Amino acid sequence: MTDRRDDKAREVALKLRRRFSRRAVLIAGGQAGLFGLLLWRLRQLQILDTSEYRLLSDENRMTMQLVAPARGSIYDRIGRVVAEDKENFRIVVVPAFCKDLKATLAAVSQVVHISAADKDRVMRAARRQSGYFPVLVTEGLTWRQFTLLSVLAPRLPGVRADRATYRQYVHGSSMAHVVGYVGMADKSEVDEDPMMRVPGFRTGKAGIEKSFDAELRGQPGTIKYEVDAHGRVVGQLGATPSVRGKDMALTIDQDLQAIALKRIEGLRIASIVVLDAVTGAILVLASYPTFDPNDMSFRVNLDRWKELARNKDHPLENRALRGVYPPGSTFKVVTALAGLEAGVITADEHMTCPGAYMFGRHRFRCWKRHGPGIDVHQAIKQSCDVYFYETANRLGIDRLAATARALGLGQIHDLGLVGQKQAIIPDTAWKKKALRQPWYPGETISCGIGQGYVSATPLQLAVVAARIATGRAVSPHLIAKSDNAPEPALLNVDPAHLELVRSGMVAVVNEPGGTAVRSALAIPDMQMAGKTGTSQVISARNRGFLKGWEGETHALFIAFAPVGAPRYAAACVVEHGGGGSHAAAPVVKDVMTEILLRDPAARPGFFASNQPANSPALAAAEAPE
Amino acid sequence: MKALFAEGVERPQLLLKKKLLLINWPFLALITAITLVGVAALYSVAGGSLEPWASRHVVRYCLGLGLLFVVALSDIRWWLRAAYPLYVLALIMLALVIVVGVESGGAKRWLGYGEMSFQPTEMMKIALVLALARYYQWLPPNRVSWPHAVLPPLLMIGAPALLALDQPDLGTAALFGIVGGGLLFLAGVSWIYFAGALVGVIVVLPHVWERLHDYQKERILTFIDPDRDPLGSGYHILQSKIAIGSGGLTGKGYMQGTQTQLNFLPEKHTDFIFTMFSEEMGFIGSLILLALYLLVLLFITYMALRCRSTFPRLVAAGMGLCLFAYVFINVAMVTGLVPVVGVPLPLVSYGGTSMLTMMIGLGFVLNAHVNRETRIRREELGPFW
Repeated sequence: MTDRRDDKAREVALKLRRRFSRRAVLIAGGQAGLFGLLLWRLRQLQILDTSEYRLLSDENRMTMQLVAPARGSIYDRIGRVVAEDKENFRIVVVPAFCKDLKATLAAVSQVVHISAADKDRVMRAARRQSGYFPVLVTEGLTWRQFTLLSVLAPRLPGVRADRATYRQYVHGSSMAHVVGYVGMADKSEVDEDPMMRVPGFRTGKAGIEKSFDAELRGQPGTIKYEVDAHGRVVGQLGATPSVRGKDMALTIDQDLQAIALKRIEGLRIASIVVLDAVTGAILVLASYPTFDPNDMSFRVNLDRWKELARNKDHPLENRALRGVYPPGSTFKVVTALAGLEAGVITADEHMTCPGAYMFGRHRFRCWKRHGPGIDVHQAIKQSCDVYFYETANRLGIDRLAATARALGLGQIHDLGLVGQKQAIIPDTAWKKKALRQPWYPGETISCGIGQGYVSATPLQLAVVAARIATGRAVSPHLIAKSDNAPEPALLNVDPAHLELVRSGMVAVVNEPGGTAVRSALAIPDMQMAGKTGTSQVISARNRGFLKGWEGETHALFIAFAPVGAPRYAAACVVEHGGGGSHAAAPVVKDVMTEILLRDPAARPGFFASNQPANSPALAAAEAPE
Repeated sequence: MKALFAEGVERPQLLLKKKLLLINWPFLALITAITLVGVAALYSVAGGSLEPWASRHVVRYCLGLGLLFVVALSDIRWWLRAAYPLYVLALIMLALVIVVGVESGGAKRWLGYGEMSFQPTEMMKIALVLALARYYQWLPPNRVSWPHAVLPPLLMIGAPALLALDQPDLGTAALFGIVGGGLLFLAGVSWIYFAGALVGVIVVLPHVWERLHDYQKERILTFIDPDRDPLGSGYHILQSKIAIGSGGLTGKGYMQGTQTQLNFLPEKHTDFIFTMFSEEMGFIGSLILLALYLLVLLFITYMALRCRSTFPRLVAAGMGLCLFAYVFINVAMVTGLVPVVGVPLPLVSYGGTSMLTMMIGLGFVLNAHVNRETRIRREELGPFW
């Protein structure tokens, strides 16, 4: 029995051992099979899909860094630099790569002086932020220092001689309103175009820099870096150079602009525009007070910025384009031409000025009792209000407005600059639309002398002067055009009528009794024609409400010269400057004198296209080390 | 030792000299080769430097080799008796982790502090194998498939697995399951139980899913679709796949792996070392490394088959299962076949605890091999002592 049980037990044990063997082999087979599964998976990853993963791995390890392109330069009409990118050599240190930051700074200071304060700042920055964040040590190095440091840099781990650019405005404040300035891209711009994120990338914030930003900006280059998972650069893999932005040439004459600005500097708020009356090229577009764009684009000083933004006289405002003034008596040339064209007045008609004009029960005053015998010539020369009250009354507002528009008022002459003002040339339709009121005939009267609803910008007034001078639909522009651009079309007016108006304007400056006779040119054989304007800020009756400077009238003057063959047209507005003949005409006289002596229109123009888009020197400078 | 276990029962005692001769030396050469692969990989991961990993890896291997010999040459009967106490001790410590464990990275896995800390799960891996082998050494062969004889080992597996899940350590819990289930299978438990368990798992799985931690669910979900969150949870898998895939057939060359050298991989010196190796050595290198592991596993199976007694047989096979589970889970994890569960690659991954545990485990394999002819009779054993 025992034996049998033992036998049976042994048999079971043997069976179990055989089962173990079977199952062990099975499991070993299963393990081999599962290893096969792993190999199948590895084959899938490493052989079948390897190219895809290799691509992903390359993407992983490469980071493309955009290189800010050099911004196009801006030149004036004869190719003098107005704004350009200047190289700024800096020393940057990456603390994490330095063995001993203090010793490194000491070594660097053997080449370039580093103030104790700068050293302190760097040490503090190194402690405060990630050691991989580059810290600026000093900038504005000379080329010699820069090259010396570039040579030394490999021996000073962590030190980098760095090349950056900044925007330099050569004639800072005189061109500020035209050229504008650049600055860091703001958030909305960054969202629109990721290129804006390139460090050191600036976009135009005002003026030409803003309007022609797309042209000036250029194409960014790229540098491919090998990076680790923390984004740290480990090596460089390749680069495509950036493409410099297009250069631009302005019609402005930088020297004349500076002279003009200098001339109006003493005034509180003034602006002056000078056009080439034939081509419409703007030679001078000056507005005072102004600012220095260099303050805005290179290391912006926040206090300075606040001061500018808060200043009561708004130095950032370009009055020549954005200042809207009642044109006052300068508008009389428009009324005169409109009257002649409509036939409501003729050259022979004489009126009497009793010092006031009665319209119904309303009395419109003239600034002076001119007496009898006022024809259109005398009316312009002496600026007789009564004559133009009557002319306007005969014309009606719509015909007056039509001529005003034909002469360039009440419209935006698009110079490509942002924020130009249209001003107002009123007519019945306008009033209905803007004020939802009918036009009252009495309102036409004051419009005849450029008051009431009438308003204009200095640029528009300069266009009026130019169109009267040449009889052509001159349209102003700020960006240089080629010399053989077609001449502007003739205005649809009788040349004889234009001549009448012009002779009146000549008399204003040159005949005894003219309102601006004291501003006659002192150049032999050269005469300037013009029209003064003194516009009320507020009606004479309410004058008491405004005191001092703010209560003063605006002084205006429009002019063209030389009389025989008009070439230059100008408009000047001195805010609250008093009488046009006292405050505005002398400014135009001085500026016009300079212009006539230099005669910029006679010089060959400069176009940005003359300039190779990518000068070799700059291309070389841009190439990465 | 001899004196301790010599009492009453006459059995041939192997002399130390004899034991040394019985050790499977080619097997040792094989695991040394795998370790050297690890040293080379760690040298590369450190950017061509013995510090901080490669040199210490060597030191740990030597230490582990010492332990391996101690275990291999020790008396198998001593371990037979120590199996249950060791298991109970490991279980207590595992439970203790819940109470006084040190938390790190959202999981409580450690006992003790700093240099003196260790993971009770490591001890449990050995203890579980020993305890199950001890159980089947004692169990009369004809009762192997009896329901009430299957229950105790299930509890022995279930208790540590649940405790591991609680830490939470999904990888280790799975490992306990694989090793325990494999041992039950090898011990001869009827097919019917395994088929039943399969059905049970299918039924229970949805409930387990609900009980998983959010991060575990997240891991599983991102495993299914790594693109779900390429910089979040899926990052590890995706970067690992990119590294392995970009290695291609022949690899990027030793120390040339861009993914790993440039730090795109997390834990590249521990759990993701295979990724680095595979990126630099390519498909061929991976094939060779996996072949080495498979060879080790086949050796272990061979050694288990040659054992006369149940205990050494199951111990050897159990350790083999453990090694297999490690390798398979790790490689499947880094290639994106299974979720990231944090299991090291044995002998290659840097890490003291896993190295020592593995060497002790292999020591037991060799111990079984040394004692292949040793007859252990059931009558020598009580059910518990």
